[in-house]
Amino acid sequence: MAAFCRARHRWKRTNCLHVLTRNLTGKYDYDLVVIGGGSGGLACSKEAAQLGQKVAVLDYVEPSVKGTKWGLGGTCVNVGCIPKKLMHQAALLGTAVKDAKKYGWQISGPICHDWATMAEAIQNHVRSLNWGHRVQLQDKKVKYLNVKGSLVDKHTVKGLSKAGKEMILTAKNIVIATGGRPNYPTNIPGAVEHGITSDDIFWLKKSPGKTLVVGASYVALECAGFLTGIGLDTTVMVRSIALRGFDQQMAGLVTDYMDAYGTKFAWMCVPKRVDKLSSGALQVTWTDTHTGNEHKDTYDSVLWAVGRAPETKALGLDKLGVQLRKETGKIVVGADESTSVPNIYAFGDIGEGRPELTPTAIKAGKFLARRLAGHSTELMNYDNVPTTVFTPLEYGCVGLSEEEAEKRHGKDGIEVYHAFYKPLEFSVAERDASQCYLKVICERGGDQKILGLHFTGPNAGEVTQGFAMGFQCGATYSHLLQTVGIHPTCAEELIKVSITKRSGLDATVTGC
Amino acid sequence: MAHRLLVRRLWTLSAKDIRCLPASTATAAASSSSSFSTSLQSAPTRVSFLSPSRTLPRSLLHTSRREVSFNVQDHEDFTDRVIKNELPVLVDFHAQWCGPCKILGPRLEKAVAKQKGRVAMAKVDIDDHTDLAIEYGVSAVPTVIAIRGGDIVDHFVGIKDDEELDSFVSKVIGK
Repeated sequence: MAAFCRARHRWKRTNCLHVLTRNLTGKYDYDLVVIGGGSGGLACSKEAAQLGQKVAVLDYVEPSVKGTKWGLGGTCVNVGCIPKKLMHQAALLGTAVKDAKKYGWQISGPICHDWATMAEAIQNHVRSLNWGHRVQLQDKKVKYLNVKGSLVDKHTVKGLSKAGKEMILTAKNIVIATGGRPNYPTNIPGAVEHGITSDDIFWLKKSPGKTLVVGASYVALECAGFLTGIGLDTTVMVRSIALRGFDQQMAGLVTDYMDAYGTKFAWMCVPKRVDKLSSGALQVTWTDTHTGNEHKDTYDSVLWAVGRAPETKALGLDKLGVQLRKETGKIVVGADESTSVPNIYAFGDIGEGRPELTPTAIKAGKFLARRLAGHSTELMNYDNVPTTVFTPLEYGCVGLSEEEAEKRHGKDGIEVYHAFYKPLEFSVAERDASQCYLKVICERGGDQKILGLHFTGPNAGEVTQGFAMGFQCGATYSHLLQTVGIHPTCAEELIKVSITKRSGLDATVTGC
Repeated sequence: MAHRLLVRRLWTLSAKDIRCLPASTATAAASSSSSFSTSLQSAPTRVSFLSPSRTLPRSLLHTSRREVSFNVQDHEDFTDRVIKNELPVLVDFHAQWCGPCKILGPRLEKAVAKQKGRVAMAKVDIDDHTDLAIEYGVSAVPTVIAIRGGDIVDHFVGIKDDEELDSFVSKVIGK
């Protein structure tokens, strides 16, 4: 495949010689131009440069509706993973301080949280990351241009600076890694004028106050989680189900915990309109689809977390015939991240059917760079990708959900080992561990290969990462049994799991 | 480096003239690298065309040409007040998110003040002036680069204590 593609490129290049006016030798300005300086774009461009390619990366942030903008690094660094995890940590620390009293710490009076202090510290850290990325590009000899990139033809990219200056770059290969941005609902009056999204929440200088989070994706739940944790009156408005696409039993445990933790839920409700009152507060009118009744309440902020849309509009893709999937607007990509146009590639959040995760974007970007530089033919493996939802009770998983496993193997074809456990630390703190749970979904019979692993509990991300490696190596239930647990931890409960759902026995773990 | 030497040579001719002129015209002339005769004529208007953030330090410049410590406004300003400065200038590359920078900044100002006008200090916020910082090879902050006659004569990265700073500054002045 690689040899064939290279031959095609050479043929096309000689054909284009007379068309390209920029240089007479037939060479392009760059071997590779990457549009998008996020997790994927940066990884791809740095890897390509390291392999000797002449690379340019174009990064540009169109301000959000509210005017929020940020530096180099993409969604993860600026308005995603990083600030999210830090705010989640802020919320967890609030809970920890409360627990601390039970452990003997003399803390007088109720503790309160100052948004401005947290926001400034987090925003400063993000800025240091923006700088770090900038230095890295410089070190790795990647040309960085803070311009909005768009495609002119399949070897030409136009860049538009904030000041309106235009520049043209030609490239042998073009990679699109522009990611996505949060959706605003289009049919709700007042939604755009008065609401904010995840693009804004992490950059607010003042506390969002009493907040309505609309949506039940991990973005919605994670945001609602840390807002509740820092002491804000928070409501989650869910249209139908939470964490669509995730194992629904686990999703239920996550939302049950949040409910017990203090987050309010408005299930089966859809907002109808948002009005700004003279006091400055926002009045939201919504319909309870279950009863048909209309309700109103006032909030200081309304956070829309109703999905993300790919950043493809301004790229000029239709002009070049780059195929998009109509329903999602994302770019249709092959297993090698190729698009319908040769020498144009796309990966990361922008790719149809791809996980919207940083680690997959980074890995895919590196593999793509190696293939484009002719150093490798290895394709990105999108299977067995572990992930964690950083809600107040964290949820980590790798592999199939129980629903998916049943669909593929039949209910009789799987064995689900499960357990309700109690983290040791919760005991002294007198915390409710009702939703701390884990399950290992295995093939029934034979080696009992593990199909999926799910865990809710503290540090779920840390716990799941190690098991993901076992999963990647084709771990079976007997491997689990052969592994000795580390005591006392929550993770060891995964090793010790023995009660099956099929048995109907009580899955609550008793003491050691 | 060669470019900076060239810029320095071009300006040495006019710089001496500018220094002799009254403060207002000196300011205006310094604001543009075009021929200074036109800027002399339009000195007051030229100042008013400058963005608000520029006018304040300009008025400070009015009071004392030998400003000890100042914030760099842009690339032009840097060329102006650092490269073309007849005093040695310590350029403090810092960032608001950098804790050690907040410690080094005041210490450096103290060390510079001790020299009673024999050395100047230019502060560059690397988030506001990323390209300039990258141009000077800054990676970690704080980075202090000593520039004398347009050339880099010394530099250090990270915090130094008062004694180390005093000796660094003395070396830069050439004591």
